[in-house]
Amino acid sequence: MMARNRQAIFWALFFPLMLVVVFGLFNFNGVGVADVVVVDESGGPKAELFRGQLEEIEFLELEFDELSLELAREMVADGDLGYLIIIPNHFDGPAGQIQFDGPEPIELVYSSRSPDRNQLVDGAVRNLVSEIHSAGAPVIPSRLLVAEVIQVPEVDYFDTVLFGLLGLGIMTNSIISIAVRISTFRNQAILKRLLVTPLSIWKFFAAEITAHVLLALVQAGIILAVGVFVFGGKVHGNLLWVFCITALGSVVFLNIGFILSAWAKSPAAASGMGNVVAFPMMFLAGTFFSTAALPWILPQLSLALPLTPMLGALRDVAINSEPIWDIWPHLAALGGWAVATGVVAVKVFKFG
Amino acid sequence: MEPAVQVENLVKRFGSFTAVDGVSFSVERGEIFGILGPNGAGKTTTLETIEGLHKPTGGKVSVLDLEVQSNATKVKALIGVQLQASAYYSYLNLKEILALLGSFYPHKASPELLLDQVGLADKSKNRVSELSGGQQQRFAVAASLVNNPEVVILDEPTTGLDPQARRNLWSLIREVNQSGVTVLLTTHYMEEAEAICDRLAIMDHGKLLALDTPRNLINGLEASYTVKVTMDKPMTKAQLNSLNGGVEIIHSGERYGDGGSENTYLLRLANSPSALKSMLDQISQAGLGLENLQVTPVTLEDVFLELTGSELRD
Repeated sequence: MMARNRQAIFWALFFPLMLVVVFGLFNFNGVGVADVVVVDESGGPKAELFRGQLEEIEFLELEFDELSLELAREMVADGDLGYLIIIPNHFDGPAGQIQFDGPEPIELVYSSRSPDRNQLVDGAVRNLVSEIHSAGAPVIPSRLLVAEVIQVPEVDYFDTVLFGLLGLGIMTNSIISIAVRISTFRNQAILKRLLVTPLSIWKFFAAEITAHVLLALVQAGIILAVGVFVFGGKVHGNLLWVFCITALGSVVFLNIGFILSAWAKSPAAASGMGNVVAFPMMFLAGTFFSTAALPWILPQLSLALPLTPMLGALRDVAINSEPIWDIWPHLAALGGWAVATGVVAVKVFKFG
Repeated sequence: MEPAVQVENLVKRFGSFTAVDGVSFSVERGEIFGILGPNGAGKTTTLETIEGLHKPTGGKVSVLDLEVQSNATKVKALIGVQLQASAYYSYLNLKEILALLGSFYPHKASPELLLDQVGLADKSKNRVSELSGGQQQRFAVAASLVNNPEVVILDEPTTGLDPQARRNLWSLIREVNQSGVTVLLTTHYMEEAEAICDRLAIMDHGKLLALDTPRNLINGLEASYTVKVTMDKPMTKAQLNSLNGGVEIIHSGERYGDGGSENTYLLRLANSPSALKSMLDQISQAGLGLENLQVTPVTLEDVFLELTGSELRD
């Protein structure tokens, strides 16, 4: 009998297979990449040599940008950029020799966010500079590189994951529970029973969404409470905004659940479909691991998923203490998703 | 006074399938009106069009003088509906379900009174899954009354119930009707239609075949008795035909398998004592041995056979 519920079987088999593929895609062995912007103020031959050799370092992803130093520093502070390397005007010129009692030092700017990676990058760049200069006059290694560390509030991996888990919980619960619930209602003709009453359809939707959003807020509260009080996680930003983002995200995923319920022929199929939508999103949107560890165009694809702006908004507000108006691109993306999925849900929804 | 429900030349097609094919009838206020027919006759589609769930392909449906399509919300507020197969929220108890359903309507009845009316007052804290089949159907009737409707529409209210539970529900439906509610119901049970309906429409293959009171429908048949005879050996066609003019052969032995031997024949007889006597005389003159004889009044079953040429499909 079970074998005849083809839709449920398909999703049951498809789902574990998909997990294998998703995990296979991540490159867990690598350290990930460090994005670096190099600003060359010298333009001399040694600077060119230095840049060439920097490019050979595998885990650095270089960009030679015309950014203003001020903007680049700000990006580092905000976490939008990993490292800023400034090759000074007098890197290999004689003037530098006089002014600094040796070559003018390279400036390396980074934030206090990821100390392990900082050490690695700092060491690699320092070695490179020392190699380049050691061909000429004797040098004092400590003067070859000046590191400027921008102090940001302490963030450990757990905090990042905590908000990933928050988004994940809201997403899976919203998508799957509404899809299964509505599919069950339809199968048992409860929806039809409501349809013969004067209850307007929008009121039914509004009631379901309100109930689930409230549930999502309680869920968020519990996840955060356990994360903070039991496991020592830290929330730096405004909690009110965290809950607002949670509610908005929840609406998006509820709409997706409504859409799936329109296609699912049984509650079991609805649950399978919900998992298939939710799980790839959980990895591709960077819930646990940075999407930078993904190959191919997947990091770009990740930007096209609704969970990505939700997690971005949550982390920016809660971890980086950014004010809500500074994260409007995330909110706009999430709001766009809410409207688009809402329109599709109303279009495809079936009562019978 | 305008009729409670008026259906004029209703046609409903789903793709190329015609579920309802030009049906007209009107349900007068205060009556119990039944639609009788086998599964697939178009009964449920007709009801669901009246309830505003389907848009008619052709024709017009009005309830209490309101055209259903353009007044769907108003109509829904005035009627009570029991769907053929409908569950209720499984995490709510009976009282809560009635209160919730009632909250969708401008006028609502008290859940306690409703449960009392259908004999489920002591189950108000139970869930639907904890009720027996008969209790669930009685609850469904209570749920159709949450808005104090002027018209209730019950789709096969007794299907799947044992005879006792069915009779129980019949008296409930009569009580509801006596309190002033017009009842429109479907059934595929002949005896149910006969027992509770004031008027009856017989439908098959999307068409209305007859419409009258059950008594008139039965009286409309030329014969008034059905006679079941079991002979000691098979009769020839000629012997069967010789059984006098008042006899109409409904089933010959080959077709009439259940409940009798190969030699059992179902015959229809005119309403006169002499017809029966002359039939018996014929049998003895022909030298046939009569093993069993049953004489029963004609029922709706016979009306249905006459109209559709087939037995009621299950």
